[in-house]
Amino acid sequence: MSIEERRQLLERYLPDPPQTSQGNTAATTSSKHKSGRRRRVRPFLKQKLYLFFYLAIQFIFGIYIRVRQIASAIFQKFIAVRHYHHRTPAYIQKDLKNLSRSPEHLSVILKFDSSADDGLETLLDEVAELSAWSASAGISLLSIYEKSGILKQYMSAVEEIVQQKLVLYFGAPPATPTLRVFAPNVPSIPPTRSTDTPATTNEVTNGENHYQLSGINLNLLLLSQSDGRDTLVDLTRTLTEMAQGHKLRPKDITVDLIDAEISAITSIPPPAETKPSKLNGHINGVQNLECTLPSEPDLLIVFAPYIKLDGYPPWQIRLTEIFCVGDSGGDVSGRQRTRVEYQAFLRALWSYAGAEFRFGS
Amino acid sequence: MSKQISTWRRWLLSSPPAEWALNQLREALIGAIKQGRVPRHIAFVMDGNRRYARSRRIETVEGHNLGFEALARILEVCYKSGVTHVTIYAFSIENFKRSRYEVDALMQMAKIKLTQLSQHGELLDRYGARIRILGQRSLLSKDVLEAMDRAVKMTERNNRTVLNVCFPYTSRDEITTSVRETVEEWCKPVRTVDTDSGHRRRVFAEDRIRRNVERQEQLERIEEKEMESVEPRADGEQLYDDSMPLFDQASLEDTSSEPNHLSDHSREPDEHGMLPALSPSSSTTTLPQEIFSSSTASSPPTSYHSSPKQQPQSTSLEALQPSKSSPSLPNPESITANTITAHLFAPDDPPLDLLIRTSGVERLSDFMLWQCHEDTRIVFLDVLWPEFDLWTFLPVLWEWQWRARKEEQGRIEEASGHLVKVA
Repeated sequence: MSIEERRQLLERYLPDPPQTSQGNTAATTSSKHKSGRRRRVRPFLKQKLYLFFYLAIQFIFGIYIRVRQIASAIFQKFIAVRHYHHRTPAYIQKDLKNLSRSPEHLSVILKFDSSADDGLETLLDEVAELSAWSASAGISLLSIYEKSGILKQYMSAVEEIVQQKLVLYFGAPPATPTLRVFAPNVPSIPPTRSTDTPATTNEVTNGENHYQLSGINLNLLLLSQSDGRDTLVDLTRTLTEMAQGHKLRPKDITVDLIDAEISAITSIPPPAETKPSKLNGHINGVQNLECTLPSEPDLLIVFAPYIKLDGYPPWQIRLTEIFCVGDSGGDVSGRQRTRVEYQAFLRALWSYAGAEFRFGS
Repeated sequence: MSKQISTWRRWLLSSPPAEWALNQLREALIGAIKQGRVPRHIAFVMDGNRRYARSRRIETVEGHNLGFEALARILEVCYKSGVTHVTIYAFSIENFKRSRYEVDALMQMAKIKLTQLSQHGELLDRYGARIRILGQRSLLSKDVLEAMDRAVKMTERNNRTVLNVCFPYTSRDEITTSVRETVEEWCKPVRTVDTDSGHRRRVFAEDRIRRNVERQEQLERIEEKEMESVEPRADGEQLYDDSMPLFDQASLEDTSSEPNHLSDHSREPDEHGMLPALSPSSSTTTLPQEIFSSSTASSPPTSYHSSPKQQPQSTSLEALQPSKSSPSLPNPESITANTITAHLFAPDDPPLDLLIRTSGVERLSDFMLWQCHEDTRIVFLDVLWPEFDLWTFLPVLWEWQWRARKEEQGRIEEASGHLVKVA
């Protein structure tokens, strides 16, 4: 293409050249009196017309969103009727079999409704349900982001309720998956079936330790807003202190260094030595392969009508597949919370399996 | 049959009356958008050029050219409707991991595009758009850099709108750079007002103001305690005794040691500033470790342990003096998220309101992570970038406006709800 051709190509999309005042006045000298008034009136009318258009569009769009919401509610109900977990891991596994891939680290954004009386109860129940579904789906790490960090305050309650839920799904202790609950910068609760000292999340993970438990492991990681920017700021402060003390040169700060530090904080340490189980023998071989769990989530489910990360840790979501549950429930504004439903969980995992993985644009 | 229809449609649409009507419609729609709240900063991940080319069985380069046309189209809509900042993801650092051949081709294309841009510099002027290139310059070859600088230079004068081109960019790299620059800045010693003789001294010392505030509080507290101590209480008496000397100290310092404070403490953080006056015992422990940890290894820490209670205030300040005369470093604790934001590639841009990624890939791919993880609405569209036009863009804008309006309403309702509760 020649320069001229390209110019013509672009010309279509360009606004008019800024009119010089001279040309204007020359054209309007003949009817100065009339056009002066017209020039004031016409933009005004145009403005009013545009405002009318704007309101009309917004009105119609409001109707459209409600229709869309009803349609998706029907669709979701349909899935919910066809697929229900019946609190049985086998059903969940059936729903998720034949998938090309499934996430190892699932992350979820939940909202805490502080105005509702049973806000915390609802939230805890949702965490428990999600944990049970994830455990059934074979997801080994579930991280739950809740902005205010209230879950971290009630870690023992979280653990207890999730444990109860797991028992409900899987049956009494020998069959229950091992649950470990973590939160960055908070000393973790020891595994329920272990008598060892609690392992802290800051513990350095190395490849020496392996999961030596029977059946399924579920690690629950509780995140809040302070694990996002604040953590990066803290890291910057630490690095600054080190640099001021000449323990580090600024040019040593690389993406890898920051990545290593950030993932050390959110990564899950391998379980402390727990009771060796009978099944250990044949499962060990498989589990030797996975040493540490990825700190970057593979899939993020946003339980909201639209995607807004709300302060989710920025460093980790680089390659995370983001799934938005979309319109649901009797709420369009996104102010109320979207309920956590099994069908949404399923849709997210299905869409994850269908998505092709490419890097770059 | 379908081919016939499409030919008919094209003929109809390109007929003058239809074209006129369409243009009027576009104008009206964009004008209507302008009536509501408009996102100030939009980011695009222009994904799908290659796939488009593959699906249409045209050359990849042609796909990219069409993508460029789509960009021009979208920029027009953005700037006309009042968006001031547009950021596009042109090339990821990760793309360097692609085959050498492809990288070279992409670089070549970037160069051509930039040269084209500078050839049509006056066209961009009509938008009043200014190009900025965000990214890791060190990774580029010289000729690309030259083309880049030329394009940037041509549009320098424009100040109405900004087009950020991320090239070669990843968000992690941006954050890392920002952290590194912050660290570098904090490693530079702060110039105290003393050394800078030409610098005008400020008449008001933050420290003195703070101390006055403290003293007032102290006074109030003492008054309260006096009120309390009307009823006989053993511990109340004790507290009263304790607080009295502190109060004396503060007032004494206020009159005697002002000049010192003017010069010394004006750049120090709050906690340090008020500690010596109020809690002498705690100041002896926190001072050496936190504030002077790295900068003042020379003077022995014991000198700070001289509590103001035992020595006159002036001498204890003089004991601090030697450490001050050597260049002191800023306190790392004063680094906040805003500091990091201020060191990003484009620190002055308004917050990102909307991030759009085309081609149905629901991932951020290391783009604008720091900027978009809070209040940004992220939209993944299922069209390929070359197909992206006004008609696919408008619904996104409408929805954004609609949500923004709802949020506003919600906020007003909440506020009025609070008011009702209070009343």
